[in-house]
Amino acid sequence: MKLDRRTFVQFSLGSAAGITLSPLPWKLTDDIAIWTQNWSWVPVPERGEVSSVNSVCNLCPGGCGITVRKVGDRCTKIEGRHGYPVNNGSICILGESGLQLLYGPWRIPSPLRRAGKRGEGIWEKISWEDAITQVVQKLRALRQKGESHKVACISGPNSGTVSQLFARFLKAYGSPNFVQMASGRDTEELAMGLMHGTASPVAYDLEHASFILSFGSGLIEGWGSPVRVIKAHSIWRTRNLKERATVVQIEPRLSRTAAKADNWYPVRPGTEAALALGLAHVIVKESLYEHRFIDNYTFGFEDWTDSSGGNHIGFKRLVLTKYAPEAVSQVTGLPPRKIIDLARKFAKAKRPLATWGRGKGSRQGSLYECMAVHALNALVGNINREGGICPQPEVSTRTWPEVEQDEIARSGFGMPRLDGAGTDRYLHVKYLPERLPQAINEQQAGAVQALLVHEANPYYTMLDSTAVAEAFERIPFVVSFSTYLDETAQHADIILPNHHCLERWEDFHTPIGLQKPILALLRPVVPPQFDTRHAGDVIINIAKRLGGSVAKAFPWKDYETLLKWTMGDKWNTLEKRGFVQEANYKPPAWEEAFKTSSGKFEFYVKALERQGASQPQDIRCLPHYKTVEPEGDHANYPLTLIPAESIRLANGAIGNPPFCTKALPDTVLKGNDLFVEINPKTASNYGLSEGDSIILETPKARAKVLVHLFEGIMPEVIAIPSGLGHTAYDEFLAHKGVNANKLMGVVEDPVSGLSATWGARARIIKV
Amino acid sequence: MSATEEKEQAVSGQAEQGKEGGEQAAGRAEIKPTSTLSRAKLLKFLVLPLLVFGAGFVVNLFIGWVIFPRLLYSEKDQPIDFSHKIHVEAVEEGCESCHFFGEDGTFSGVPGAEKCAECHEERIGIHPEEAKLVEEYILPGKEIPWHIYARQPNCVYFSHAAHIKMAKLECVTCHGPVGESIHVKRYQQNRITGYSRDIWGWRISGIKTNSWDRMKMDDCADCHKKSGARNDCFVCHK
Amino acid sequence: MKDIHSEQKTYKFGMVIDLDKCTGCGACMVACMAENNVSFRADETDKLRSITWMRVYKMTNGLPFPDTEVCYIPRPCMHCEGSGHHRPAPCIAVCPATATDRDHETGIVSQIYTRCFGCRYCMAACPYHARYFNWWDPKWPKGMEKYLNPDVSPRMRGVVEKCSFCYHRFQRAKNKAYAEGRREIREDEYQTACAQACPAGAITFGDLNNPQHAVYKLKNSPNAFRILEKLGTNPKVYYLSTKEWVRRGVDHYLEEEAQD
Repeated sequence: MKLDRRTFVQFSLGSAAGITLSPLPWKLTDDIAIWTQNWSWVPVPERGEVSSVNSVCNLCPGGCGITVRKVGDRCTKIEGRHGYPVNNGSICILGESGLQLLYGPWRIPSPLRRAGKRGEGIWEKISWEDAITQVVQKLRALRQKGESHKVACISGPNSGTVSQLFARFLKAYGSPNFVQMASGRDTEELAMGLMHGTASPVAYDLEHASFILSFGSGLIEGWGSPVRVIKAHSIWRTRNLKERATVVQIEPRLSRTAAKADNWYPVRPGTEAALALGLAHVIVKESLYEHRFIDNYTFGFEDWTDSSGGNHIGFKRLVLTKYAPEAVSQVTGLPPRKIIDLARKFAKAKRPLATWGRGKGSRQGSLYECMAVHALNALVGNINREGGICPQPEVSTRTWPEVEQDEIARSGFGMPRLDGAGTDRYLHVKYLPERLPQAINEQQAGAVQALLVHEANPYYTMLDSTAVAEAFERIPFVVSFSTYLDETAQHADIILPNHHCLERWEDFHTPIGLQKPILALLRPVVPPQFDTRHAGDVIINIAKRLGGSVAKAFPWKDYETLLKWTMGDKWNTLEKRGFVQEANYKPPAWEEAFKTSSGKFEFYVKALERQGASQPQDIRCLPHYKTVEPEGDHANYPLTLIPAESIRLANGAIGNPPFCTKALPDTVLKGNDLFVEINPKTASNYGLSEGDSIILETPKARAKVLVHLFEGIMPEVIAIPSGLGHTAYDEFLAHKGVNANKLMGVVEDPVSGLSATWGARARIIKV
Repeated sequence: MSATEEKEQAVSGQAEQGKEGGEQAAGRAEIKPTSTLSRAKLLKFLVLPLLVFGAGFVVNLFIGWVIFPRLLYSEKDQPIDFSHKIHVEAVEEGCESCHFFGEDGTFSGVPGAEKCAECHEERIGIHPEEAKLVEEYILPGKEIPWHIYARQPNCVYFSHAAHIKMAKLECVTCHGPVGESIHVKRYQQNRITGYSRDIWGWRISGIKTNSWDRMKMDDCADCHKKSGARNDCFVCHK
Repeated sequence: MKDIHSEQKTYKFGMVIDLDKCTGCGACMVACMAENNVSFRADETDKLRSITWMRVYKMTNGLPFPDTEVCYIPRPCMHCEGSGHHRPAPCIAVCPATATDRDHETGIVSQIYTRCFGCRYCMAACPYHARYFNWWDPKWPKGMEKYLNPDVSPRMRGVVEKCSFCYHRFQRAKNKAYAEGRREIREDEYQTACAQACPAGAITFGDLNNPQHAVYKLKNSPNAFRILEKLGTNPKVYYLSTKEWVRRGVDHYLEEEAQD
């Protein structure tokens, strides 16, 4: 039979009929439909047994309790822990992005040694043995040369045992140069130490306050313990009008906090202290202050005579003579009427409370400004009582045995600190991190031969990035203990990667600003995802390898043993419950509250008599206003630049995770370009409109940015979002925007040596 | 004469005949088509085409019903030849002894090696498959890579609690009498979708005689409809 | 068996967001992203294409310095109830694939990704911009797919996605209830990820039909309103604000339009 067309058609028809009557087409259609719904590149999350583990978040000083939901051995979600005293079930934007940090590509997978030039990003993977040996060899060599004091260590502003281990290591090794990164608590501790006699951060009873006067504090931008403060904010916002608190925000910019406040009083940047004292003037003048407290428990309110017969002026005379509303109005730009009105409202409120610390409170600031705000709280008798402030208490733990130093350690440790802290010049401060780069750059011979960095990213977060970069250039050996490949790790020679906070044990002490002391425990929620080691273990290991008295200072097998030993009888509760809280803690009554030399709250701080000889003595000891002038003259730099901090933008040692960056509005970032906020009036002077590209220049640096017109910012002031402009991390963060720290220089607070920077002088050029 | 010409002629001849026949039907009643011609034609125009058609039909039926399923599925052995029967007899709470519910109502599904280790921490019998379990998985702490017959696509949500705890269905209703099996059946994986043959059902026709023969969306929907349960999208999809 | 199901309870889940309490911190946005496997890309600054089931908008009163005021408005899917069978939610009305539908048990507007073929009619129909199109395949950086939630299926390129009021959490709550032999779930057992995370406690979630639930009372507050109320979409998300300009602003009243 021939195969002709006819046969072919006949066969085909038969085939078609046969196939149609077979399951093939129907089954195939169904299968292909399923196939198109399951692309192999779309991940299918693995299922598994569901469990949850409680821990504590240490991504910021907020210390929220967290519950991590796990599926099999994967963490799938971080949620706020229900019933936890800080955050009770809620969580902030950064905390819930924590898993992106845990599993992200910015994790450092193993110990690394620099193979290219500094900062080039070429690394060689090495073994832990190898990495630790190299660090030990270097440290041993320096010690033998008698240069142990040339080893410095920068740690995060954290009061936990790991940071203390590094401090102890330096002491045993023989260097005075242990520094903690700058934070607002440095200034608070100093002010409280001077006025109260207790050097601890200020704890605010926000929940019970009825009138909150915030001097630029970004109460809902991440100030204090962020979730706790936002929760307090909701208490203030209760719909019950009788209980509703009043919030007044003093700030040149309509920040989130200002937007939510009942009243927003824009003042010229950096003049908050003047306003505080102006309010004090009205309160004193109209005798609205709490007489029982002022008369019995304070020192230096009235003029006084010392034992040698010298007359001194008191706070009362100072504010009455120098801070009349008209004078303050000149400085701050706020009408006198408003100042008087605000002072009266504040003083007459049932439980008024003044808060200090600009933005997130992550920057230091002027000591006198902090004291001035604190003096307001004292005037209304708002110390150690409900709705007021008190020195932040801590849960006590076992203290470690004293370090027994050998001869080298003794002589090295006895050398003056590079940052000058504790010297006659800067008598009362512990650390002056922002002075460090300058100190290194000023000395010809290598002042620092080796630098250890733990839980900090100074290369990014320190002000005046150019000087910081130069200082790094001058340090021949940088060791990073970072978890992430941040800027500092990028410029290190050896990286000894730490576990992520969900992979390790660690203690966490009372979150900043809380009045009830809490001791909490971070626990490993998942096993280490990479070849990392606990920084505590590594530093103990290094000490042991160095031998001699250094090793003897670390009698613990490993970090876990040390932690259990330190927590003592609290360990069992910590392990079981996750935290220990002294919920019934009450700050001492006024009679026993003050540990100053006078035994009272000191408006006139006697301890300051020895310091800052350039000023007349009495002024030097009293809260007063002195402009903290940023670099640059007004003629060349007619505008003022201030940082704008946002809770959606992490600006500390932790880089902003992709989720948080995604949540940024398109008036902050567009592509890789950063917007700065300018008042339309100012913009029109320069002929600028929305989205225009400009060069923003300060005496420290220049940057190309875009214009965002915003009515909520004071004319002549420019606000730059703080937390972008990273050069390290990955494509989700690097090279987006501009690092605000680069544009601002360090302005030293004359009395304390702390960085009092609140902004910078600036000019703009249209391009 | 070529086939085409012959055909044309034949067609025209027939047509003429028809015409004449129509006109003079009464007078030519006795005239019949020659039987030899009609037989050849019958063969040519009916039988042969039918044969060719039939061949195509049968071949493709064969392909569709027999070859296709063999090509469509790849066969895989389960890692261990597990006997449900032995276990059901040995445990106290039936299926739920190993396929258990969590406190929050989550269903464990196929138990992990840890569950097996509760009894088989070390060998308790003499069966070679048990030896395999202990030596290859439990002692080294490895998970057993079971192939799962009832695995559904990721867009499907299924709650065992809703069906077992609330609607009081028996396991058998959907999974069949697995508990009576002595050997595990071979796992047949659909090469296109990647899911088990059990979803479509072992009959390639898709016809089911038992409630557990298929696990397609229609099967779920039918049962939901019959029992008065909802058929909204979100009930079963995520 | 039929009887059990016909007695099955129906809910009308909804949300009340207190704009006086909302601080615009964005915790709701990220809680949602983390819960629902929302993908992210290196550049998310094109907000028309950036997928945010929950998005916090910023609204100003338009007055010059220093009288400027700002309000933050979190916007999930409104889960419009529509009015009656013939006028469902705008997205449901236009979907040619029945990929989006109203769930009868909960009132939640469902979206089935495998059913959607990406015509984006629903996006055009939605007056709240609550729907997002997957212009790209979702891609997680290596290792990061580990945090994906198995209760929510990741989407693929070419489909539309939106807020589901965390329906899987409803399923989860029901599962737990079933395990305990209950049919009804408690108010606190089913909360959306955003409501749970919100540090300000600004988001209240629950059954709008149930007088025991907090939302029931809140939605009847004199300060309660809904976005674009006049369109008649009948949203199940209510807002509270004591500020007149906020209430006016979200309903987009033109000056010549009558105001009540």
